[in-house]
Amino acid sequence: MLNSAVLNELRAALGPDGPSLPSGLITATNQLQTYECDGLTNMRALPSAVVLPRTAEQVQAIVRICDQHRIPFVARGAGTGLSGGALPAQGGIVISFARMNRILEIDIPNQRVVVEPGVVNAHVTDAVAAHGYFYAPDPSSQTVCTIGGNVAENAGGAHCLKYGFTTTHVLAMDVVLPNGELVTFGSSAPDAPGYDLTGVFVGSEGTLGVATKITLRIVKRPETVQVLLAAFDSTTAAAQSVSDIIAAGMLPAALEMMDRLSARASEAAVHPNYPVCEALLLVELDGPEAEVKAQMAEATDLCRKNGAWEVRLAQTAQERGLIWKGRKAAFAAMGRISPNYIVQDGVIPRTALPEVLTAMSRMAAEVQLRIANVFHAGDGNLHPMVLYDQAIPGQEEIALDLSYRILYLCVDHGGSITGEHGVGKEKQQAMGYMFSEPDLDTMQLVRRAFDPHNLANPDKLFPRTRLCGEKPGPYTPHPLETAGVAEFF
Amino acid sequence: MALIQHRFDALRTHLATLETGEHNGRITVSPKNTEEVAALTRYASEQKLTIEILGAGTKREMGHAADADILLYMTKLAGVVAHSWQDLTATVSAGTPWVTMQRALAQHHQYVALDPLWPETATVGGIIATNDSGALRLKYGSLRDLIIGMTIVLADGTIAKSGGKVVKNVAGYDLHKLMTGAFGTLGVITEVNFRLHPLPAETRIWTATSSAAEPLGDLMMMVLDSQLSTQAMQLRAHINGYALDVQLATLPEVLTLQGERLNDLAQHASSKTNGTFEVSQTSDPKVFTAREDLFTEAGVVIKATMLPSSIALLSSEAVQLGGTAVTQATGIMFARFNEDTAAAAISALQASIRATGDGSLTVLRSAHTAGSPWGDIAADPLTREIKRQFDPHHILNPGRFLGGI
Repeated sequence: MLNSAVLNELRAALGPDGPSLPSGLITATNQLQTYECDGLTNMRALPSAVVLPRTAEQVQAIVRICDQHRIPFVARGAGTGLSGGALPAQGGIVISFARMNRILEIDIPNQRVVVEPGVVNAHVTDAVAAHGYFYAPDPSSQTVCTIGGNVAENAGGAHCLKYGFTTTHVLAMDVVLPNGELVTFGSSAPDAPGYDLTGVFVGSEGTLGVATKITLRIVKRPETVQVLLAAFDSTTAAAQSVSDIIAAGMLPAALEMMDRLSARASEAAVHPNYPVCEALLLVELDGPEAEVKAQMAEATDLCRKNGAWEVRLAQTAQERGLIWKGRKAAFAAMGRISPNYIVQDGVIPRTALPEVLTAMSRMAAEVQLRIANVFHAGDGNLHPMVLYDQAIPGQEEIALDLSYRILYLCVDHGGSITGEHGVGKEKQQAMGYMFSEPDLDTMQLVRRAFDPHNLANPDKLFPRTRLCGEKPGPYTPHPLETAGVAEFF
Repeated sequence: MALIQHRFDALRTHLATLETGEHNGRITVSPKNTEEVAALTRYASEQKLTIEILGAGTKREMGHAADADILLYMTKLAGVVAHSWQDLTATVSAGTPWVTMQRALAQHHQYVALDPLWPETATVGGIIATNDSGALRLKYGSLRDLIIGMTIVLADGTIAKSGGKVVKNVAGYDLHKLMTGAFGTLGVITEVNFRLHPLPAETRIWTATSSAAEPLGDLMMMVLDSQLSTQAMQLRAHINGYALDVQLATLPEVLTLQGERLNDLAQHASSKTNGTFEVSQTSDPKVFTAREDLFTEAGVVIKATMLPSSIALLSSEAVQLGGTAVTQATGIMFARFNEDTAAAAISALQASIRATGDGSLTVLRSAHTAGSPWGDIAADPLTREIKRQFDPHHILNPGRFLGGI
């Protein structure tokens, strides 16, 4: 725990509380428990304190205190992350951006918006919608997740197939480095001379510092949006349709697939009126009306050619919304068909989809578990959900092991262990499967330049040093640790 | 000379399998693969020999001159290693000329959606090291958005990979973004994974001309704010007048409709000016290589960046200062000034960029050795520390980058 002198320093850094302002420093255990995990709820740690700064200067003062006393810190937005990125460090503090949630500047002609990191993703679009613009990255949690968290994770979403990821839309940032220095990366104008520190910082999962101001690029709303729903008898036929649509030179705004189990769960949860089938394909095209119309006709033909027995074009904005509601509810809907589940986030080359799905089914059958699948099929991003029952002794371990083996399967097919959820705490050991030691050592050069004392979100993203004889996969205590002979530090 | 000969002999002995030579008293090395590059940098690092990395050398005059012991020619590392056309990705060796790569990818009607300077000769690695981009950046983004993975060789011979071969991937730090635009000061790029785009079904270019920049600037802002399928746009500024080039890309039948809409916007813009204003369709795709023409005549060539809303104002200022400019709608200006008036023009333009908001100015080519190509931009402590971590002995392209890095 932090001693009273440090707490007093933090209190002073946050400034005096106004008469109507609650304290920006939390130390009571029952309140700290709110911050003990993020969206990955099976990993928890209690922070020593939580601070809620209102300004970049306060963030700077807090980080300076951390640097001086070598206290680890973890930045937190809405805590919706799915890989434990906002999991507190043992004995460390959490910097919550809940109070830095102002949109600072809107420049419609230059298509830029300047925000504080605590601004909710969807609020950026709300602020510019009247001018015919939107903020493109749309993670499923967009109505609650914050831009600061999106920057840390390089968040994607269903529409990044066409519009790109968070990194495509961040132009500049003010960042408090782990030594407390406040610096600016990038600029509103393109190509700020120097290394592309914005590019490196976005997606670094809070390990290189804390962003306090972010300049975003916004995008003009397309003239027309159309959504097609197609039902297939096999995921292979749906996957072939995805390849054919891409091969025809189209770049859909979104290409999503759901298998029988996930479609059934969504149907039970939000009643999107999905047909009962082995694979559902959702194709969204946007752009000039005449272009969308012509391409949608072609996409429909391609789906039919691959055996789609029902092809439904949403006729109204309401129908379109309902189709998407079912897709976006897929994770939460799993509760309808299974007491517990683990979501994974592997990526494979699109063409490997049929082969990987077959292998996944086999692996699940071998351990007698079910897997429900939701994919961003257009960019090969799989979200397999391993269903299990915590009440059955040993089943959670089997499910966890299966979920990691699925990631390795993705890597074996030339893919990645994460497409948008981040490595965080959850997949840090899997990094060693995807990257070689020289690759990871080179990444550490960046880490050391930014954070020589390893204070910013420590023990995340990179694998922990392995002891001889340690098993790969999720962290398990080494027998030497259990015996008290060796320990990690 | 004796020292050089001694070093050359030693290098040849240690790296017997490498193709080596001599050029103007410097050792030249032409490795054929990543491992040979690694062997060279490892040896150079141990011997504290400095290395200048060269592709085709088209942009060698950009940045400070790197005075190095060894010239590392990358042109033998050439070719498209893999083209997964169904996945819209490709792996390419860094020494490949840009156009050679594009010709190979075009067999499946795909390309890397970027239009760099001198694509016939410039290599993939050199284009990345200098973070070049053309007018297509408006639609497809810069190299940051098109590179999905990279193999690099560090100063100590470490071979490292970052990213991967899939478009969507957030595992680990994006070292490839750090290497892009680093002018070879952090590592040697040997192989690159690109995301590809389908070649557009059809493109058409319209050019609006006027005696004044302002109405064309208005039209440009209207097009940016429209739902037209614009893939490239630039404002050319010359003492004889101004021209706005707009390239639309979509299905042929849609292009006709959009052409009409573009004409409507142009009418609206022209109604606000007293000067001349004409719009015509052109079939000459060369119009978008206009920035290359700036380099064909003598003079100082600069790159200035700005917000799109400042393009018209700064274009007319460049002309008033005696210059010729081509500015992409993303806010990147290339301009040429005569040697004798350049210094005054540069400082005036710098002041105007500051006054209009965000932006920067760097000198791409100048006969003068005095002054820094990086202008008044210094290297901050973090930038220096990154360099120190990656290349502690400063052996890679020494002095080339800003702040003498």
